[in-house]
Amino acid sequence: MTSRDRIPVTVLTGFLGSGKTTLLNRILSENHGKRIAVIENEFGEVGVDHQLVIGAEEELFETNNGCICCTVRGDLLRILGQLLKRRDRFDYVMIETTGMADPGPVAQTFFLDDDFRNQFVLDAIVTVIDARHIEEHLDRMQEPKEQAAFADVILLNKIDLVAPADLERIERRLRAINGTAKIFRTRNCDVPIDKVLNVGAFDLGRALAVDGAFLEPEYPFEWAGLYELAAGRYTLRTGAEAHAHHAHGHEGRACHDHDHGHAHDHAAGLAIALLPAGGATPEALAAQIEPAVRVFAEDGVRVDCGGVVQAGAGLARIDVGHDGSQFELVVTQPGPYALFCEHAPAEFNLRIDGLQPVAERAFASHHHDDEIASIGLSDPRPLDPKKVNDWLSYLLQSRGADIFRMKGVLNLRGEDRRYVFHGVHMMFDGQLERPWGGAPRQNSLVFIGRKLDRQELEAGFHSCLA
Amino acid sequence: MQAALLEPRARVKLDDYIVDVAWSPDSRALAAIGGEGRVALAQLTGESLTARTLGEHAMGALAVSWQPRSVSAPGDRFATSGQDGALVLWSAADGSELRRWRPAIAATEHVAFRPDGTSLASAAGRTVTLWSATGEKLHELPAAPATVAALAWDKTGRDLAAAVNGGLVMHRFEGPQPTRRLLKWDGAALTVAFSPNGRAVAAGMQDGSVHFWYLATGRDSQMRGYPGRVTQVVWSHNGRYLATGALDTVVIWDFGGKGPEGTRPLQLRGHTDRIETMAFQPAGPYLLTGGRDWRVSLWLPGKATAALDAHLAGAAISAIRWAPDNRHVAVGECEGMLTIYELVAVGR
Repeated sequence: MTSRDRIPVTVLTGFLGSGKTTLLNRILSENHGKRIAVIENEFGEVGVDHQLVIGAEEELFETNNGCICCTVRGDLLRILGQLLKRRDRFDYVMIETTGMADPGPVAQTFFLDDDFRNQFVLDAIVTVIDARHIEEHLDRMQEPKEQAAFADVILLNKIDLVAPADLERIERRLRAINGTAKIFRTRNCDVPIDKVLNVGAFDLGRALAVDGAFLEPEYPFEWAGLYELAAGRYTLRTGAEAHAHHAHGHEGRACHDHDHGHAHDHAAGLAIALLPAGGATPEALAAQIEPAVRVFAEDGVRVDCGGVVQAGAGLARIDVGHDGSQFELVVTQPGPYALFCEHAPAEFNLRIDGLQPVAERAFASHHHDDEIASIGLSDPRPLDPKKVNDWLSYLLQSRGADIFRMKGVLNLRGEDRRYVFHGVHMMFDGQLERPWGGAPRQNSLVFIGRKLDRQELEAGFHSCLA
Repeated sequence: MQAALLEPRARVKLDDYIVDVAWSPDSRALAAIGGEGRVALAQLTGESLTARTLGEHAMGALAVSWQPRSVSAPGDRFATSGQDGALVLWSAADGSELRRWRPAIAATEHVAFRPDGTSLASAAGRTVTLWSATGEKLHELPAAPATVAALAWDKTGRDLAAAVNGGLVMHRFEGPQPTRRLLKWDGAALTVAFSPNGRAVAAGMQDGSVHFWYLATGRDSQMRGYPGRVTQVVWSHNGRYLATGALDTVVIWDFGGKGPEGTRPLQLRGHTDRIETMAFQPAGPYLLTGGRDWRVSLWLPGKATAALDAHLAGAAISAIRWAPDNRHVAVGECEGMLTIYELVAVGR
């Protein structure tokens, strides 16, 4: 059997109530011409009669002293084996896992067994997330982190039940966990089918998409806006009306703690800095990034509600522990100023009364609030193939249990083509792909896992430089 | 050395992937079940094989077992089970459904008549049930610790083994109530078979090993080094040889003398793709294997490691079953061809 005969498999994960079944029913009822077999682990929810729906009880086969990297799903081995006996009736498989499932063993089932590798190809892991409850789940449990970390596609679902600012924060947090998944915001899992089927996420032949912003350097701020300020006094505000319809039910409390559990340390205040800029242009804003990084390294001055923030005076940590905080912004020297903010202003409804920024810029979030996170590395310099091999082998051996996914495109010395790889735990697949041609050569690597150490990964990467 | 060949005698094409076949006690009829769910009855008359479809299991048939003939059973029916959860008893005489019932919501994956033909065991998920030959529930056994991957009776019908993740669940039918014990092993058992002499029970494991237990002492042993999960374990009629299969590898363990421990097994060479099925002659030394390489091979374990004979079929081989007459063999292919071969002795 050739590889093109392999049957693609989509793994659908997500908590009970996230909308998994809605998505599944949509996929099955849509007229896409595909005959789809469904392996369902939570019974009785799929309502489409004419499709092949098989129920199963999730069963882990631990094959080597309980090592998570060697664990496969026995029920899938058995049922997919049975499905192969009815090949002409289906050309796609969807596996719906239970809400608490770890996607690792599901993925490994398609890597570990030689026989299965020849018959099936994992297309993508799709994770459906209930935007309304995900922060609470992320704070309390491991499973939603793992499900987000393993995903190739994340549907951030039920967005109509969540305030826009909360959504921004949630998406940033998910992005910090998984730097490479495609995130779609949906109300009722209403995403075009081709975004979740035939994604080819494990197909080395398709270009590995690594989010460019994710590979940017880390900054201690997430947003900057440029304002033209005259000398005088302004009012800087946070909170109030944006929270009036907050989904967490905080209405009616004038001042409250942000008790809904996202992980920013509000007690320390929101770090902001107003830096004088050389002009009112995006370039002038960009020129202040490096100075801002230095300013953000300061301890800063704590400013309580009603206090004074002096433009051009360094780092201020304003108290956003209460809804509707306000501060006096004092400008002595008129001119353009760049306001750098630790978090996106939308999250706190931060604004200067009567003013809009003339230019603004968002920065990728790298706040690894969660134990599970993504780390991206980017470097144009060529690598030594032997050293890369040694390093990746060492990583798989020593850290395989903690690295859920890894992906990369490498610029190898003396090689005209891109070297592309991916991995799930200790499973690894890599090959030479398209030539670089005229494109700038660049190494891009992403690791998604638990307790990853950026310094360690960077040091390992640098040891591979040719 | 004895020498023999397989000669094709008759064939019929069924419009389905042949999942398994079961012979009638008189070796004149066969029940065949298909991946799409078809249940067919084939009749062998001289050199003519005819088949007709009797019915189906929606979404696929999974298991078939023909009632053995004994002083207490006529051997006139067979049972099938399927993805639809149903168990069906079929009349061999007219092909009618004697009884159809649905003991499970999910698939009923295994069905096996007791060797005396008086009762029938089925497994669906973790549930193992014993039914009378007419389909009355006799015992619902305590839920197994994991999904039952295979069922096997010992030759006497006293013990029923269920292969599960974690070892074997052994049910003993002696006295009014069945008793149960676990043969524990930290690994997933995929298939199970009792040696016909009652000495041992062997299991093929997910982790690429064969595990077996001596029934008299409970002592267990492990044989490792397979290239993949062990999907086949079959015993020779006298319990001397255990043939095992993993991917394209057939390994024979010799249980003669002190046993296989510390010995080097024989490896039978010839298959080039995954072995799907194997069967020892019911009262003789020959072994048959069939694989995804479309090949049916005849072996004489202990005497030669090369095949005595091999036939290239028209598609991947999915089922091989010896007839009780010790002479005929049914070979099913994944594209529906059912071929009857005869074992023919050749001059010395």
